[in-house]
Amino acid sequence: MAETKGGRPISASQRPTGGDKAVVTRKQYFRRKKVCRFCVEKIDDIDYKDVRLLSAFISERGRIIPRRISGVCTPCQRRLTTAIKQARNIALLPFTTAP
Amino acid sequence: MRIYEIMFIVDPNAPEEAIDAVIGQVEGVIREAGGTVDKVDKWGKRKLAYRVRRREEGYYVLVRYSVADTAAVKEIERRLKVHELVLKYLTVRLDEKLRWLEKRRKAREKRAARKPAAAAAARMPGEPVPAVPGEPVEESE
Repeated sequence: MAETKGGRPISASQRPTGGDKAVVTRKQYFRRKKVCRFCVEKIDDIDYKDVRLLSAFISERGRIIPRRISGVCTPCQRRLTTAIKQARNIALLPFTTAP
Repeated sequence: MRIYEIMFIVDPNAPEEAIDAVIGQVEGVIREAGGTVDKVDKWGKRKLAYRVRRREEGYYVLVRYSVADTAAVKEIERRLKVHELVLKYLTVRLDEKLRWLEKRRKAREKRAARKPAAAAAARMPGEPVPAVPGEPVEESE
């Protein structure tokens, strides 16, 4: 069970999408079930001022990472998108970054 | 009464007094409209994510206020727009978000109180199922 007792319990290497359930696919490899980080860590307030948090969900080029990659659930992704766009507007996050 | 938050970027080369003058102007509009200034937070100089008017840095200021008259919001934005020291601004309406957050928090507390044991299972339906046996289960939490 993803029992979180406050704080940030998950190690950095598996933080973005790591759940504790492995899904066996047809081929011989395990795929970790992706889990919404905002739900797991119970982050209700996705704020545009929290650059540290938001920058985890943009690519190197400044694009918003799709939820099929990041594993964020639909309601959270919607709020995340709004926050990122607000942050871009006030120059906290880039629209694009040169390669 | 609505709660708003306005963040604006002032020219980093401007003297401290000029920055305070801009903040004072914003506060003045709010007070005039019968609102209250709840918080003024000067973030200070910060690197911009992209160039704005040939500047790489900006002085960030955050003002949180509540006002009933929506014309005041327009007036603040208009003033910042014409001010040559202000590079950018963003107004965000907060009261709806705060209410929503409060609702979420209460729902969460209620759930935790009702069934503390099953709370973990109820939190996210369809997520935590016992791990596959044989898989090295790293205890992440």
